[in-house]
Amino acid sequence: MRKRILIVAAATLALAACEEWEPVFTGEYGDVYMYEAAELEVTSTIADLKELYAKHGVLKIQDDDMVIAGKVISDDHSGNIYRELYIQDETGVISVKIGLSSLYSDYKLGQTVYVKCSGLTIGQYNGMPQLGIEDPTGEYETSYLDNRYLIDAHVIRGAWGDPVPPRRVTEDELAAALKEGYTNHLWGQLVTLEDLQYGAQPEYNTEAYKRIFILIYIDPYKDKKASTNRVFCSTETFGVTTWAMSKNKFLEYLDGGHFDRCTSSDKSMDDIFDEKTGLTVKQTIRENATAITTSHYFHMPHGQAVQIRTSGFAKFADTEIDPDILGDPKGKDDCALCSATGILTVYNGAAQLALVDENSVKIQK
Amino acid sequence: MIKKLTLATVALLLALGLSAQTFTGGVRGTVVSRADRSPVPGAVLVLYQGTAEVATVTSGDDGRFLIEDLDNGIYDLVIQAPDYLETRVNVTVNDGYVKNMFNLSLTRGAVVSEVDVDNLVEFDMDDTGYGDSPTVLFGQNDVFNNVAGYNFSSVRYRVRGYSSESQDVYLAGVKMNDAITGYSPFSLWSGLNEATRTKYTVNGAEISDYGIGGYNGLTNLPVNALSVRKGWRGSVLTNSQLYRLRLMMTYASGPRDDGWSYAFNVSARLGGNDWVKGVYYRSFAYYGAIEKQFNDAHKLGLVFMGTPGQRGAANSSTQEVYDLMGDNMYNSNWGYQNGKVRNARVRKTHEPIAILKYDFTPGHKFNAAATVLYRFGKNGYTALDWYDAQDPRPDYYRNLPSYYFMEDDDYNRMNGMKAAWAEEVWRNDIPQYAHINWDRLYAVNKLNVEDGERRSKYALQERRVDQQDLNFAFNFKWRPSRIFTLTGGADAKVNRTEYYQKMDDLLGGEYFYNMDSFAERDYAAFPYMTQNDLDYWLANGKVQKIRVGDKYGYDYYANVRKWNGWLSGKLNVGNFEMALGGRVGQTAFWRQGLNRKGLFPGVDNEGKPIYIDGREVTTYDENGDPITSYGKSKVAKFLTYAGKVNLNYVLPGGHRFYANAGYFNDAPTFSQSFMSPRTRNQLAPELTTVKTLTGDINYQVSSNGYNFRITGYYTDIMDQAKVMSFYDDGQNSFTNFALTGIDERHVGMEMGWKIPTDIPNLALQGVIAYGEYYYTSNPKMYQTIDNNASIVEGTYGVVVPYWKSHPDVDGTIVRHYVESTPQLAVSLGLNWNWNYWFVDADIDYFGHSYLSMNPLYRTDYATAGPDREVTPFEVSYMCEQEKFNPAWLLNFSVGKSWYIQRTYQLGFSLNAKNLLNNTWVKTGGYEQTRIVKNTVAKEMFYRFDSKYFYMSGFNYMLNIYFRF
Repeated sequence: MRKRILIVAAATLALAACEEWEPVFTGEYGDVYMYEAAELEVTSTIADLKELYAKHGVLKIQDDDMVIAGKVISDDHSGNIYRELYIQDETGVISVKIGLSSLYSDYKLGQTVYVKCSGLTIGQYNGMPQLGIEDPTGEYETSYLDNRYLIDAHVIRGAWGDPVPPRRVTEDELAAALKEGYTNHLWGQLVTLEDLQYGAQPEYNTEAYKRIFILIYIDPYKDKKASTNRVFCSTETFGVTTWAMSKNKFLEYLDGGHFDRCTSSDKSMDDIFDEKTGLTVKQTIRENATAITTSHYFHMPHGQAVQIRTSGFAKFADTEIDPDILGDPKGKDDCALCSATGILTVYNGAAQLALVDENSVKIQK
Repeated sequence: MIKKLTLATVALLLALGLSAQTFTGGVRGTVVSRADRSPVPGAVLVLYQGTAEVATVTSGDDGRFLIEDLDNGIYDLVIQAPDYLETRVNVTVNDGYVKNMFNLSLTRGAVVSEVDVDNLVEFDMDDTGYGDSPTVLFGQNDVFNNVAGYNFSSVRYRVRGYSSESQDVYLAGVKMNDAITGYSPFSLWSGLNEATRTKYTVNGAEISDYGIGGYNGLTNLPVNALSVRKGWRGSVLTNSQLYRLRLMMTYASGPRDDGWSYAFNVSARLGGNDWVKGVYYRSFAYYGAIEKQFNDAHKLGLVFMGTPGQRGAANSSTQEVYDLMGDNMYNSNWGYQNGKVRNARVRKTHEPIAILKYDFTPGHKFNAAATVLYRFGKNGYTALDWYDAQDPRPDYYRNLPSYYFMEDDDYNRMNGMKAAWAEEVWRNDIPQYAHINWDRLYAVNKLNVEDGERRSKYALQERRVDQQDLNFAFNFKWRPSRIFTLTGGADAKVNRTEYYQKMDDLLGGEYFYNMDSFAERDYAAFPYMTQNDLDYWLANGKVQKIRVGDKYGYDYYANVRKWNGWLSGKLNVGNFEMALGGRVGQTAFWRQGLNRKGLFPGVDNEGKPIYIDGREVTTYDENGDPITSYGKSKVAKFLTYAGKVNLNYVLPGGHRFYANAGYFNDAPTFSQSFMSPRTRNQLAPELTTVKTLTGDINYQVSSNGYNFRITGYYTDIMDQAKVMSFYDDGQNSFTNFALTGIDERHVGMEMGWKIPTDIPNLALQGVIAYGEYYYTSNPKMYQTIDNNASIVEGTYGVVVPYWKSHPDVDGTIVRHYVESTPQLAVSLGLNWNWNYWFVDADIDYFGHSYLSMNPLYRTDYATAGPDREVTPFEVSYMCEQEKFNPAWLLNFSVGKSWYIQRTYQLGFSLNAKNLLNNTWVKTGGYEQTRIVKNTVAKEMFYRFDSKYFYMSGFNYMLNIYFRF
């Protein structure tokens, strides 16, 4: 009898085991698949791409086979370069607008990246060439590729390689690039500028000698474009001694009274900003405080202005600038000469440099 | 003084109990199962003389019973036990003897849910602030509970709308509700169905022999060796909802002549299921008990049990994801690694329980028991962690079409092309995007060489909650005469639970930084503030590298101390019975931080502020007290007490009227009290006890196969507290909401019936549970952010004005309800029993279920929007509470057992649930505590989509068992 029961039990077990149930547990998953470096046929250069824009303006690329390739030259580990991948071929650089953070996780310095351009849009942002996806709002010429599936369908990772060393750019080269504008090959390159000195008199701007520039949105939930909702602090240093300001550093400056003399188009810091809340401009700014992107003006020996522009979200935002570089905030020529390495960009005819990290600026001996 | 009084009382009771007594006639015997002659504990025996009910007793752990003080005459004895058919026998008492009926055997009848009581998919709800733990109803001679307990579990039905914390669950006389959260602890013994089958349950506010209890019933599981059915029993079970296979083996010796008895129960639950991918079991369970009866008076028992194992958890998603996937069971917790399904959320537990129990039964008039119970071991679950990397969760809102395109222009999401790309991922279920892309996580880690080693950007952490829980309980029952019974007891609990994070898997890397990535965003300039372990950083000058097995992140003890004393007296006069009971006690708890976090360093060991680089880093709260992560917090202490009264009137013919009332003053739990226990010692402001007033009236009839109960109840629960913590990527931080002063009202009725029909062996059975459970106060809310010591302006210390209700656009006040349970539940069914066959079929209806609310949407801040102007439309839009669609379910069960040569028994039961295959039945969910702020018109804010849990579709459970 016992045998019969055991047979029934065994049969049940066998039945249970034979069913095609997929295995759901395993302690071992084995080696993971590491992607293989792709190799695509390159049909166009980056210069070709920019030429398309020069000819047609904003353009959604219809050519199904158009592929460009370049080496990765941007590194966003410090967060100063953010949501942009700069790739370079022998003809120049293009910024691919990939709307994700920590791109250096997937795209390594020196790695070849292929971009299938079909369906993407070539455009510019204040003079800087950018490759993205069309922006139906019309607010910008291009929009970010921020969905990983969309990104992976267009941006293909190739072989790893040696990082591209920074290129020394002279004042003349920079002036020429600014003159040429959009199509110049220097925009987006990793460059080293030498003989920089703090403070500048920008050519196109007749205003006073400039040192910093920051823009504070009083209430970010209101119209950011309204001049009544914006406070500019420029020309003097306002006692700002850091490359940029994290939220807490900004509050420290704000509470220290550094920006008390800054104004919006119609109000000063102590005026009531919003009757509903009864808060002043300064109090409203305080309530909505966020990290502040900061530009520091430098000039080259013959006066060419360059802004070193640092994101408030960069990890080195709050790093103090060497006091020798800043010199006397009121003086002009006692500042130490320095060199700076970063991605060179253009913004409305002005040259800007985005530092790689806090070690990118060195005093020249 | 109290101590002295207690001692004196105990001494007096013992003395009285020991004094000799004399009897008139009576009846005694043992209730056993017809199937295997094993004792049936907890059977209720009602003795009638004609139509008059004379006595009611319950069989003991060994199935024995005794009814005394009987006059000579002929009686009717009716025996009822859970899972068994009602049985009647005639008894004659004469000459003042106690008649021994020996074995009274019962036949098994009812459908029993063989799947564990925690038979619901475990959802991953950490960090949402949403707690979900259904209450569990046990049959135990109650027609309502019999039906509702089985049929309503699949929709996460909560008895009378109460939270699971309110249900008292005892093991061997010790209250086992979690010391930190209060949750009912069924998962501690899931898989030990045979060892825990015997249960003693009271409903609502009735008084139990094991404690005064609360307002949501009390269940005691004796788990001693004698409570397990005698003999061998083995079973093989397969089901399609949770795991494929359960194997179980049980043996119990029953009472042996030498006074020893022992039992064991082991099981394994293995495999996946039909419905939720990534959910699997690999759980084992063991139970061993030994017991010795020294003489009539003394019994000592030892139990050791545990359920080591792991199971994959499911996750909730938004309806957008479910719709695109065409699957409401989509689980975002898993992905393919090397072609194999790997779940990131795996619960790993092994929490053994050791019990030593002493029973003292000097005579028939007195018994007492004392228990020492110790629970220990580990409990954790894994979760993805990342630093300096993109969010790896597949259903992260930026991966969904709605992030790119919304019909409403005000969202400023107009990129149809991007939405189409995002949609394709989900529509086509492209595995590397619609699920976790493990391969990519490994690749990122392997390629990220820093400092000569591979630094992991992604890792699997294990969040551990390791309890050490020591309990003492004592209870006694004294029956000095037929009309009076006194029960009482005392208990104490010492709990120390360590909460910490441990590195489980570096996913191809070699180390992980012990840094607070959230703090880094705001405090880039202050590296000390971003340290999870500031002391390490100060000592070594660099951030700590974490390897597999290392503790990191947070690490703290939750300490709880509790004691209670209770007493109840029961008076029987004729058909009338009255019981009064009360308890008094104290609950104290505190937090003890084991590491110093950079954001909240507090003061040094001498109590002085801490300076780093000449800068004071100690921060202070609004009262000027330092905010500290390290060391001991203030001790929160609460005096607790409760009082209850039960009235019971029995009429001939099995009619019973009874009513209960109670008032409770209970401590909030640790988990409801600390603002952000992971980071600091701060208690929520204005903490106070929870006050509950409850009352119910009931009518019950049980006779000739008819069973009926109707109950009306009314409960006010006041001053509840709640803490919700979740990740807010708007703030790039964990943010915490502490709510205090939450009041709710539960009013309703329960009705259950079982009626024999003209067709032999066929009965109609059904239940209706209808109530209204709603909020009656607007609580106060305190929001803090974990990467910032400062309070959040506008949402700290403010009343949530639209919590209990909100005005509709036309001004009508709309009430807000207690969430996540149907407030209307109906079941109608047929039950047929014949010759060891049973067939059950029922249809169930569930309605009036609501979604859990988040407090943020009910604030002035959220309803005002960017223009800071509250409009009726905004209030109505922001504050509305979602009501779920009602649902119909159809279930069917069949079973049969055979006897082979009178020694062996072979049986099966097959339960098929949700035959209509409804896969659209929401059982719960929560609102995300996030707001869409950047709109075009800058006039109003928008809500984020809510997340939901769904009931699985058709599922079956087949159990085959054999006994010998």
